[in-house]
Order: sequence, then C-alpha cells, then structure tokens
Amino acid sequence: MKLNSRKKKRSRVLQTTRKIGELIVNYFSKAWDVKTQDKPVAWITVFTPVELLYALDVYPIAPEHFGALCSARGTILDYLKEAEKEGYSQDLCSYSRCCLGYALSGLNGPMPAPDMLVTFRNACDVYVKWWQSLHIHLGTPMFIGEAPYVLTYDDLNNYVLDYVVKQLEQLIELTQNKFGVKLDMEKLVNAVNLSDKASELWLQTLKLRRVRPCPLGGRDSASDIFPLVVMQGTEEAVEFYDELLAEVRDRVKRKEGVIEKEEFRLMFDGIWLWHAFDIIKYFEDKGAVFVHEPYSEAWAFRLDSSKPLESIARKVLSMGLNTDIDLRMEKFADTIEDYHIDGAILFSNRSCKSWSAPQLVTAETLNNQLNIPYLMFEGDMADPRQYSEAQVKGRIDAFMEMLSES
Amino acid sequence: MYLGIDTGASATKAVIVDRRGEIASQAIVPSGVNFKVSSEMAAKKALDAVRLDLEDMLYVVSTGYGKALVNSTSKSSEIACISRGVYRLIPSARTIIDVGGQDSKAIRISKDGKVLNFVMNDKCAAGTGRFLEIMSNTLQRPIEELSMLHFKAKKPVKMSSTCTVFAESEVVSQMSQGIKIEDVIAGLHEAIAERIYTMASRIGFEQDVAFTGGVSKNKGFVDALRKKICLSPVLPEEPQIVCAFGAALLAMKKHKEKP
Ligand code: SF4
Repeated sequence: MKLNSRKKKRSRVLQTTRKIGELIVNYFSKAWDVKTQDKPVAWITVFTPVELLYALDVYPIAPEHFGALCSARGTILDYLKEAEKEGYSQDLCSYSRCCLGYALSGLNGPMPAPDMLVTFRNACDVYVKWWQSLHIHLGTPMFIGEAPYVLTYDDLNNYVLDYVVKQLEQLIELTQNKFGVKLDMEKLVNAVNLSDKASELWLQTLKLRRVRPCPLGGRDSASDIFPLVVMQGTEEAVEFYDELLAEVRDRVKRKEGVIEKEEFRLMFDGIWLWHAFDIIKYFEDKGAVFVHEPYSEAWAFRLDSSKPLESIARKVLSMGLNTDIDLRMEKFADTIEDYHIDGAILFSNRSCKSWSAPQLVTAETLNNQLNIPYLMFEGDMADPRQYSEAQVKGRIDAFMEMLSES
Repeated sequence: MYLGIDTGASATKAVIVDRRGEIASQAIVPSGVNFKVSSEMAAKKALDAVRLDLEDMLYVVSTGYGKALVNSTSKSSEIACISRGVYRLIPSARTIIDVGGQDSKAIRISKDGKVLNFVMNDKCAAGTGRFLEIMSNTLQRPIEELSMLHFKAKKPVKMSSTCTVFAESEVVSQMSQGIKIEDVIAGLHEAIAERIYTMASRIGFEQDVAFTGGVSKNKGFVDALRKKICLSPVLPEEPQIVCAFGAALLAMKKHKEKP
C-alpha cells in the first residue's frame, strides 16, 4: 500500500492584483493627510455617493472595507470583542461590530476619526442602527438617507428616483453648511466620469472570464474590486483597471488560465470569507476556478456625467441588495450559460441576512430550472469564530467529487 | 481485499471487502481523541478477524472527520462513501438520510448511484447523535434504554428548542415537573426528527428512502423520523458501517481503475 499525496496544482495571481496592497496603504495614508490638513473625513457605507463627497472636498472612508481588511489580516478579534463587551450581540453583522469596536477602543488605527457619518439604507437595515450607534458613541454629525427597495425598473426613473435626488441635495446642503465648503461642479463631473470609466473597464475585464481557460480567478477578483469599493471617482482607480484589463487581455491572447488544467468552472455567490481566503486556492488545487461572482459585478455602475445627481441617485438605488430578487434573477440563466458554469458555491453568511435570505431563490433556480449543482455552506465573512474549516472543506471535497462524477 | 475506514466523530469503523465487494469483516471502535490510534485499532480488529495484515490490502480508502490522519491510499468524502455503500445494499434507494455523531446529511442519488445533491447540518449539534448523547447524560439513562422507552410514550412533550443547551435545561425542568421520562424522550426524538426533516426537505424525498449512520440504530428516533416524513424507510442491516463499507467499495473501484 502506497501513500498517495495529491500534488498541488500551480495557480497564478495576476501581476496587477499584487498592486492592491500598495493602493490600500496609500488610501489610508491619504486619509491621514487630509485629517492633518484639517479637512473633513466622512465615514461612509460602501454604496454611498463618494463622487459628491469628493466634489465637496470631503474624504470618504468605508469601515466595511476596514472590517474585511482586519479579518484578512487576522486582527479583527480584538475589535469584535471590544464591541461585544459593550453589549453588541454576536448575531450582528461582523463589519458593524468591528467598526464599533474600533470606535470604542479609541480609534487607534488606520481610519482617522470621522467628522461626518454618511449612509444610505440600501444594502441593509444594519447600516441605520450601526450609524446611529456610531453617532451616539462618537457624537459625530450624521446623515442617513433612505433608498426605497427597487421593485421594478420604473423606480429608477419615477418619483422614487426623485426622492433620492432630493436627499442628495439635502446632503450637499448639510455638508456645505457644516464645513463651510461649496460643491465644485467641475470636480463632480470629473469624479462621475472617473467612476464611470473605472466601472466600464472592470465590466470589460469581467466579461473576459467567459473565455476558457479563465484568465482571472477568485483570488484576483476578490482583491481587484477594492478600487471600485472605496476609490471610485479617482484617477488611481482608472489607472488600476486600465492596467488590469491590459494584463487580462494579454492572458487571453496567450491562452493562459488561472490554473494549469481548468476542469471545472464555478460561480461563487456571497461575500468572500476574508479570514479563510485560502478556500479559493483549495478549489483551484482541485482543478476548479471561479469564473463569476455577483459580488464582483456589484460594484460597477455606469454613470452619466451630463446628469450627475440623477445618475448617482440611480446608483444608490439600484445596488444589488436593494433590488428585488426577481429582477436580479432575470439574467441569471444567461449568465450561467455565458460563463459556462458547471457548479455554484453559495456562501450563506451569518452576518449578512440581506445576502443570505435570497439565496434560497438562487438555489431553487439552480436546482430546478438550470440543473446546475450547487453547494451551500454557512460561515461568516469576517468573524473567524463562526466558521468551521474542517467541516466546510469536507463539504467541498464531497461537492467536487460529485462534480467530477457527473 | 480492500479496506475502508470511516473515522466518525464518535466511532471509527473499518470494513474489509473481498474482490466481489462482499463484506469479509467489520469492526467498530470508539474514536476517542486520536483518530490515528482509533483508525489503526479498527483496522487491526477487522484484519485480525480474517487473519490478514495491512499489507494484504490492495487499496485503502479513508473517510470521515479524521480522514487526513489515517494512513490510506486515498481519501474520499463521506457523501461519496455513504452513497456507494447504500447503492450496493439498497439499489432502489434515491434518498439517504444519514445521522451520525456530529453530522447529519441528506443525499439524493440517481438510479445508477451517482450523487445528485446533498445537504448537511450546519455546525451545531442539534439534529445529530451528539444531541442524544448529551440528553442521555442529562437523563442519566443509556441511549439504548432511551430508544426503547420511546415506545411507551403516551403524550410526547413538545420541545420548544432544538438548541442543545436550551433543550438540556428544558428537559431538566420537565423532569422536575413530573412529566414522564418516556414522554420527554419521545419529545426529544421528535425534535431531532423535525430538525432533520427540515434540512432534508431542501433536497426533497424521493422513494426509497434509506436511513444510515449510527443514530439509525436507535429505534425510537427511526420511529419519530418515519412518522415525520410519512414514508417507510429502508434500513440496512448495520446502518453504522455503511460509510466504511462504501469506502471499501471505492477502494476496490479505485484499485481496478489504477493505470
Ligand atoms: S455585510 Fe450585509 S449586513 Fe453587513 S453591512 Fe454589508 S450588507 Fe449590511
């Protein structure tokens, strides 16, 4: 009897992806520069109109991204525990717990203290209570906008849109009065153009993942979204996506895939598990590559700088989690086909009810209409205590065996 | 001969099959804390029974929680092993409900034995053998006795929670209120049956339904689950070793496929 050690397959991360680390460092150091120049810093949730804030000379930073970062770097537990000590339940979204813990433990870290708290209730209700809590703990002025749930595409053009535009106007007025600044129209148009450009480039890049072998995998896409998440409306973001697209095109030309022998093409539904990032590699070692994630696409929005406010309002409204699941499922079958998807991984995230609840619809559709096998497992995107590695990997093993048999 | 080893959370099982895939020998030992030791013990026990050595095994497949720690030719998931074992024992089965010490699973298989879909319980012990073990401790009665007492129940209690921790205190309070032990036990069996039913409903029940795993030896639980799903299950003779048996069959298959 011989011991069989399955050789790990080589898989490649894109060169451009490796630049993300530096971008993150710059992003935070810029926030501190702004702070030392006595200019305002806003804490925002990720689907907040950053273009407006840039045009008002306010520097936006996103605690959600900070949560993901702390989780990936293994430093999140101290913050989580700090929040839990204060009485915040472990059932709350771990991004919010991390941020509240950071605020409660004296704001010692990369995020400078906010001068303003801005959110729109679009991705989830957690935003509202989280921002209110921050407001209580830090005493910082806040703006909470409402984004009605989008049930039909008409909502992106009718009174619902007007309602959000009105609130954007209020946000402008409030910021102007508070900090004695003036909205710079030219800056706004410029930021909107840059956001649009970055989105366009990213969407083009994602489309290239339809090719076999897939040139950009999950380890790339999970990092590459960063400039769109927190640096929309900046030159740096556009430069990054330009470079990325060029590299990916080059890979396609050379027929070079993420892994040497691409056996399975998978979709990943959910936020990535930042603390257990190695599971992407775990799949790749089994010959499976992620070719599509709704999460990666979620960050791209085309904007029209001739109508900046309307355009931004539409973006605030139509972010994925704020749109009816039926609307989201309309193109699902095409996506599965276009990307030649063999199977789907649904990560049911304890933190994010907004994301996890509609997964039952996704699972149904995959199972009954599309006949695509799927695996659903539970865990938490950022809190490593809510995740059982051995169990999840055991399930992945079983799922991959099932795929290779079918 | 081929060996399959299933290192479960509470018991480690070993099965040896001959070249026709018939069971030649089998062994069950407690897992303890060291899967390496328990797997060696189980293998030795099964090998001794047929007077063979590990070297006589043409191929060994390990599965289960501790599979990585077992010295084997290759490893396979429990889902693949259980399905293969059931397909051989009960070819008419299309749905498998497997309840083990720390996991419960529902698997749908095709008529040629391929896995079509599966679900597993998430993390917590509710709906697994562990839940019953803890309750048997709380009630200070061995599991075998609980299984039989189940059938004496006249008015099974309704448990308000399947959370192991909550259920434990609920059981204590019911006992102190003078509720009959058999009614409490039947209530517990119903609670875990309910939990497993909900999980398995995600993939649906197609006949025949086979029950496997150590907990399926508990007649009280089987009765509760049968009533819940309104279908008569088919039970293999020894439900606890099906996974190890499947692993041995896979060993045979893999050996034959070897280049
Ligand atoms: S992860 Fe989900 S619950 Fe948490 S902030 Fe984001 S959308 Fe809200």
